[in-house]
Amino acid sequence: MVELRELAVDYPSGYANTRGHGRVKAVTGTSAVFPSGGISAIVGPSGCGKTSLVHAIAGLLVPASGEALIDGQPLRGIRDRTSVIFQDYGLLPWRSVEANAELPLIIAGLNREERRRRVRPLLAELGLSAFRDFYPSRLSGGMKQRVAIARALAAEPDLLLMDEPFSSLDALTREAAQEFLLEIRRARALTIVVVTHSIEEAVYLAETVFVMGGRNPGSIRERFDIPENQSARRFSPETAIPGPREQDFRAKPRYLQLCAAIRASLRTAGPIDDAEASR
Amino acid sequence: MKHYKADLKKATGIAIATAGIVVLWTLASAALGKPFLPSPSASIRALWKLAAKGSLGTHALASASRVLWALATSFIPAATLGLAAGRSRRIDLFVSPIVYILHPLPKVAFLPIILLVFGLGEASKIILVGLIVFSQILVSARDSARRVPEQLIDSVRSLGATRFDLVLRVVVPSALPDLLTSLRVSLGTAVAVLFLAETFATETGLGYMIVDAWARVAYPEMYAAIIALSFLGLGFFIAIDLAERLLCPWRPYRT
Repeated sequence: MVELRELAVDYPSGYANTRGHGRVKAVTGTSAVFPSGGISAIVGPSGCGKTSLVHAIAGLLVPASGEALIDGQPLRGIRDRTSVIFQDYGLLPWRSVEANAELPLIIAGLNREERRRRVRPLLAELGLSAFRDFYPSRLSGGMKQRVAIARALAAEPDLLLMDEPFSSLDALTREAAQEFLLEIRRARALTIVVVTHSIEEAVYLAETVFVMGGRNPGSIRERFDIPENQSARRFSPETAIPGPREQDFRAKPRYLQLCAAIRASLRTAGPIDDAEASR
Repeated sequence: MKHYKADLKKATGIAIATAGIVVLWTLASAALGKPFLPSPSASIRALWKLAAKGSLGTHALASASRVLWALATSFIPAATLGLAAGRSRRIDLFVSPIVYILHPLPKVAFLPIILLVFGLGEASKIILVGLIVFSQILVSARDSARRVPEQLIDSVRSLGATRFDLVLRVVVPSALPDLLTSLRVSLGTAVAVLFLAETFATETGLGYMIVDAWARVAYPEMYAAIIALSFLGLGFFIAIDLAERLLCPWRPYRT
């Protein structure tokens, strides 16, 4: 379980590697509880601090005030069992698919044999076995996404943070990737937090949707629970029928109602872009 | 090998360019009819004779070893310092002023000072050539390290990487192509400066050979030495190409 208590995040203004030029407030006074073992989504307009919030939960940013707790423990820096997937996947161009997937294990100091033993089945599960020796530049967006997922899972995380993971994929690849994420979730005891700007994606994937609003700083304004998406019913191996049943939800009035409610919440949560903010 | 065709193309290109130069040279030499422009064949014959005598090899080796030493002693420290400056503001505070003062300076103009301080031996020549390579590599290493995408750093950091991991697995590989490019660029200048350095206080090296032949009015020999110096530069160029292919296999191969 991830719990945020009055969390505030800021970052240095100007170039990322200059210091002492004042700080920009990204997130202010945000409290939220992300339930264990399910998918939570954070939606909000660009610039509302979604990415900063994820960086703070990942331990990449030290909060300006407040705290983040993971399984009741206050977060202190980067945590072994948290994996992050970034918007552009963060794959190293000079490493092959397999070498990228192995990276967390190399950093952890595992030997070659042990790394292979853990990574090869993952690559097989993700349909990447044939592309093991490819460099990322030769892969499509959807494939790169899979490599990033393989790398994230290689660390055997209990918390997976995804920052706009599907935003650069075309519509069909995106839907495939969403199904794929649900499948991964079904097979593992994993808490997933997905940041997205797509309301539809959030409602389709998540049991809990947090709406962020405001800008420099932004904060979580509202929470929507979607029990229909709850892992127990949706993801247990016996009842899960991938395909028709899950797509059903997108056709149900309840799904459309939720989308409309979240859209309304986003509208009232704050300015959507800079032009509105300055009005 | 997939490189085979591209290599063949490259070699063919070089061969055609060489043939073009030889043709132009032959025409110019025939039209001018002056001793200071002997025909390519006379120059090649001189090259052959010098090679057979063994003196060409000795001089070429002396020049090559000076360039190698200059590269070896300047590349590693310059790359290290430059990468560090690109990633750490504190180090950059010291390095950048040095770069701004050192880089635009015509380092050849310091030849007399270097000779006075380091004597007339090998050290002076190596230092002069090394100085040029040093500032070039330093600048591009610093700029390249600054350009490493923050997202790559963050994504590797999120895997629990130490600072050392980040340098070894992100900063260095990311800067490597830029470093090799700047090495290639500085090599041209280095060979030019080597020539100058070898015209002073030495009796070895291709630069000395050129000036010596010039003084003896042995023009075919002078051209032979110039050809040898050109091939030395070409050799280093090809060596860097090969190094890039070996060290940066992820880059799409260009011809």
